[in-house]
Amino acid sequence: MLLTEEKPKIGQKYVDALRQQFGWSIQEEAWQAPDQVTVTVELNSLPSVVETLYYQHGGWLSVVAGNDERPINGHFALYYVLSVEGDEQAPESKREKCYFVVRTLIPPHQMEFPAVTPRVPAAIWYEREVRDMFGLQPIGLPDERRLVLPDDWPEGLYPLRKDSMDYRYRPEPTTEDETYEFIDVEGEGIVQVPLGPLHITSDEPGHFRLYVDGEHIVDADYRLFYVHRGMEKLAETRMTYDQVTFLADRICGICGYAHNVAYSTSIERALGIAVPERAQYIRTILLEVERLHSHLLNLGLACHFVGFDTGFMQFFRVREKSMKMAELLTGTRKTYGMNLIGGVRRDILKEERTQTLQWIKELRQEVTDLVAMLLETPYIVQRTQDIGRLEPKVARDYSPVGPTLRGSGFARDIRVIHPYCAYDRVPWTLTYKDGCDVLARTLIRAEEFFESLSMVERCLDTMPDGPVLTEGFRYKPYAYALGYVEAPRGEDIHWSMLGDNQKLYRWRCRASSYNNWPPLRYMLRGNTISDAPLIVASIDPCYSCTERVTVVDVRKKKAQVVPYKELERYCRERKHSPLK
Amino acid sequence: MVLKLIREVLKVGQATLPYPFTPVELAPGFRGKPEYDPQQCIACAACTIACPPNALTMHTDLEQGVRTWSLFYGRCIFCARCEEVCPTGAIKLGHDFELASFSREDLTIRAEFRLAACNLCGAYFASAKELKHVLALLDQAGLPPEDAANRKALLRACPECRRKMDLPRVKPLVQEAFNGRV
Repeated sequence: MLLTEEKPKIGQKYVDALRQQFGWSIQEEAWQAPDQVTVTVELNSLPSVVETLYYQHGGWLSVVAGNDERPINGHFALYYVLSVEGDEQAPESKREKCYFVVRTLIPPHQMEFPAVTPRVPAAIWYEREVRDMFGLQPIGLPDERRLVLPDDWPEGLYPLRKDSMDYRYRPEPTTEDETYEFIDVEGEGIVQVPLGPLHITSDEPGHFRLYVDGEHIVDADYRLFYVHRGMEKLAETRMTYDQVTFLADRICGICGYAHNVAYSTSIERALGIAVPERAQYIRTILLEVERLHSHLLNLGLACHFVGFDTGFMQFFRVREKSMKMAELLTGTRKTYGMNLIGGVRRDILKEERTQTLQWIKELRQEVTDLVAMLLETPYIVQRTQDIGRLEPKVARDYSPVGPTLRGSGFARDIRVIHPYCAYDRVPWTLTYKDGCDVLARTLIRAEEFFESLSMVERCLDTMPDGPVLTEGFRYKPYAYALGYVEAPRGEDIHWSMLGDNQKLYRWRCRASSYNNWPPLRYMLRGNTISDAPLIVASIDPCYSCTERVTVVDVRKKKAQVVPYKELERYCRERKHSPLK
Repeated sequence: MVLKLIREVLKVGQATLPYPFTPVELAPGFRGKPEYDPQQCIACAACTIACPPNALTMHTDLEQGVRTWSLFYGRCIFCARCEEVCPTGAIKLGHDFELASFSREDLTIRAEFRLAACNLCGAYFASAKELKHVLALLDQAGLPPEDAANRKALLRACPECRRKMDLPRVKPLVQEAFNGRV
């Protein structure tokens, strides 16, 4: 069942172009799949190579993985994963699209590498994280604050190094206080508004600081990762390959199955396992069912934040049907637990198919009515148009993903660019808009909802018979590859390297929100404080609710703490400003 | 618009259930808590190896000759891997999902199994029920009587004694492989 036939390599021309430009700096070339290549480059040329791919060959930064490869080859390694899609001016048919991984080795006595961030801003969070987790110093990184590790974590303890610590070890806190330094915004009359650590749309912690002049947001800064769970370390040290699929389900309460598929496909791709056709269709169906509930949830929240609570209730009532659909097809409403390496665990039976098709018909009607109602509400457009603008230039620099990017005029969807599962066999239309605002992002999700319905119908009608699980393959030590899925809120991507002890050597999972957070600062700028919760909700982030908000008035030079409830109320009612 | 909305709200009526006073309707394939049948269980440990959150654990006491199987529902994620790997159907997921309890102890179930002693040295080595199960399987396998008897004798010994029993057979092979250098 292994894929042995030789397929034409997609992306060879980018490798050749780099060889031409950088000569001996390009050292090694390894193909994980016909459209996935890892090229090892000399350490000092790393920023130039990544920059060339990003800006000249239409690259987008998907993820950066650090890896402690000292036991394998005596070095630390960095993997910069780019989705290279060809020159944006070129016609669609001329654009070769592949995953291009730039790898570089760092000798352990050096522990430094030239930062890519000054050339490609999208790398900022990744390089801060690699610094926290491996102690590798990015030279020239503009922001040297911790990203993932808490403020009270001891200096010099780097969790993901192979020789550093057991996954159960909890070091004593080194300080009582939060010592994170927020950015300093100088200016007459600027006030800081701290939001958090506990708050806004979801009930997770994140500390926001809004810098306001009167009612207008001048800048924003945020501190997240209060609930970092150390899943990568856990998977690498305790769990077997099949067990990790269940952990991947729990990365996110919304797009858990997307993570699950991304993880499973990364292992399957690394080993060259052919997943049965029927299993690929089942995965596609469940991924779209997951999108149904996520989009309805976000539409409901959009209603809530503009003060249209009846709409919120109605969307959540209808959403229940999509949850029942998941329960029917998988045995549970969330954390489907449907994948193993090699396929799925459960087939879709005839009665389940009939019932699902019936519910899809009902959902289509109900949601059409609700969306029409939502758009007829005059203040919806008023409150969301030109609010929280994500300029295409900022979007290009920061590689956001999903509806956040598609709302700024880019037709990027992993389902189209790098088709996986059965997406290349199901016809559907990609939605993108160039409003760049909250309205555009919300409308995209409404339109995608109906596409998902048709896709599920189409898959159920055309899925082939046959087995759903491939078994009897062997695990190969140190094989590695990428797995990727377009989750409801954008690309989820996993980079996995197998180990020699029935456990992963390294697992890097990146959720879609990770790429959407850094550009949020630019979306908040220039808006009024009452729109902040709405803007944050429009990227539908995975993080926590800000219970309290600190408002800093730049003019009066004073900080003020506003309870989050109060800010949320102000967002809905827009009366009685909490700042006065 | 408002009229349409009001019409919709009236049409739908009450959308919520008076749960917990009425039961929730569950899909036929719903995965609830694992139901365990100690009669069927042979203490082979397949489920404890497969269990992703370590809700299922096994402790073997070689002194006392007892193996304790336990399931802590507080950690269980209802994934049904145990059901999938169980060779005897001793554990199956039911429909029950309401596990609230006042004490941790209520969420744990345990079963104790006797270990079999080696018929050569007397040391405890494997679950007695598992051994019985394997011996019964051998009877079903239709092997020539002599072969079956040999295999059974081998299975009744502990791994250490098995190695010793094998030595006379293996030694010449090893010597041959290393040209008498061993």
